[in-house]
Amino acid sequence: MKYVKHVMISIKRFNAMGKIGVAVVLMVLFLGIFSGWLSFHPYSIPSGGSLEAPGAVHWLGTDDLGIDLWAQICFGARISIIVGFGTAFLAGIGGSIIGIFSGYSGGLTDKIIMRITDMVIVLPDLPMMIVLGAFFGPSVRNIIIVLALFSWTVPARIVRSKVLSVKQENYVTAAISYGAGFWHLTLRHFLPNILPLVMVSVIRLTSRAIVAEAGLAFLGLGDPTSKSWGLILNHAINFRGIYFTDYWKWWVVSPITAIMLLVTAIAFISRDTERIINSKA
Amino acid sequence: MTFFVIITLNFFIPRLMPGDPFIFLSSSEGQITTTYSEEQIAKYKAYYGLDKPMVVQYTSYITNLLKGNIGYSIYYNNSVINIIGKRMLWTVSIVLAAILVSCLIGTVLGSLSAWYRDGVFDKVLYSFIIAISEIPAFIIGIVFLFILAAKLGLFPLSGGMKTFANYSCFADHITDILHHAFLPVLTLSIARLGEFYLLSRNSMVSVLTKDYMRTARAKGLRNRRIIFRHALKNAMLPIVTRIFLSLGSVFGGAILVENVFNYPGVGHLMREAVMVRDYVLIQGIFLFVAVTVLTMNLLADIIYRRLDPRVS
Repeated sequence: MKYVKHVMISIKRFNAMGKIGVAVVLMVLFLGIFSGWLSFHPYSIPSGGSLEAPGAVHWLGTDDLGIDLWAQICFGARISIIVGFGTAFLAGIGGSIIGIFSGYSGGLTDKIIMRITDMVIVLPDLPMMIVLGAFFGPSVRNIIIVLALFSWTVPARIVRSKVLSVKQENYVTAAISYGAGFWHLTLRHFLPNILPLVMVSVIRLTSRAIVAEAGLAFLGLGDPTSKSWGLILNHAINFRGIYFTDYWKWWVVSPITAIMLLVTAIAFISRDTERIINSKA
Repeated sequence: MTFFVIITLNFFIPRLMPGDPFIFLSSSEGQITTTYSEEQIAKYKAYYGLDKPMVVQYTSYITNLLKGNIGYSIYYNNSVINIIGKRMLWTVSIVLAAILVSCLIGTVLGSLSAWYRDGVFDKVLYSFIIAISEIPAFIIGIVFLFILAAKLGLFPLSGGMKTFANYSCFADHITDILHHAFLPVLTLSIARLGEFYLLSRNSMVSVLTKDYMRTARAKGLRNRRIIFRHALKNAMLPIVTRIFLSLGSVFGGAILVENVFNYPGVGHLMREAVMVRDYVLIQGIFLFVAVTVLTMNLLADIIYRRLDPRVS
């Protein structure tokens, strides 16, 4: 509860850009959660003529199979949110635990963990995702796992260096001299210090994960059963004659707008959070 | 060390895959499964060396790699190394061109921005570049494709050069290739621009507060000379290393952008390979990209040490 209050307070301190960002992200969340109620048409089976222009019945028009695009965008929001937040959550928690552990124990353990982090950082992530997707089958779950496996290094490094510096503080030394153990130190002293930093990197990871999923789906290597924004784009681009007709005006523009809106909104939030945290320090 | 990890990963991924290649081979369409007899399976396993223990398979895999033999693609009916070699030049050239362009423009804009820090020019440019740098490369590519290539017809829609073209002279050939490469390079450059801009701006801002900058100004030097000779030279260090470090993500971006423009590079090849389930080729490409990126990272390390005597 205490943390929720913190978040509320920091949202209040956002500037106009940050507030717009929060509003857009909340809107997309709303779309994703209530996609079933918000779209009157099914997202996977045809509900009208093919390639209808946007109108009263189909707000954003239909694609070549006559499937309502607004419904597809709504359900795509769900995929983006699941992938984005799922990855960020997994990587944020995993990375923080590894970072705290590494910074706290120091010595050889720390060195080994840092070597591993260095290695993961230089691995090219998109080709690796394609390879793993090709071999293990593309599903939303696999994509989240692979993305998280590549993203934990960012929070881990930040957390580690913060823990190292907090460990030098007098109050931590005092706590240790009273016999404080790993758990006590982590919960009482490390977590409050690292939480804002983890927040910033988690926000960054969210948008990275969303972009990565959209990219994979665009290549046609994402989960073929999920209607994500990237997959809509993939279908649209592979449609013959998309360049020479007017269909792109709704078929291509709507998923692109959705992706750009969400990603820029998250970027605004991340910049603003960073600004607030830096001004605090 | 990391090389080793990648090679090992590349070795184990197909072997950890759920399912057995022989079950896959021996089942046909429909429910009627013609199964190989025990001895046939044993023979095939011996043929592919799959009956030997993991350690032996692993060592033979490594010796093959060292000989430069990374497998044979069944779909393209050619050795993997030949196929990649043919496509490599396309990718490498657009990646290098994009890095060069984004680095040059980014550095110049970043330096100017730092020089006029907090002025109108800086503020407008800063927010503009922040906004575009967040948009993923393939989206920028699609937008360009629709506006510049499809609507205005300024650039070709796809490919690396005209098919069935007869070039009257060599210059025509070059122009055609450049014409095709323009949009992919532009897309990748814009996607990278923010990184170099922010880096050079930060680096310049910290250099500009140094004492030797005040000296330069006191000597009455012209602004252009101060910016480019005195400040930029010292601010270049992080930029140079970033060029090498960003190669990994540019390659990642190139895979997507090549597919947007149907550019005949390694990224496009990778997608084709996945579509036709040519696992050997997929692995070969991954190995190629990974090795290139790692080599560049290593180079970045070495160059950084050369350039900055403070790092031991």
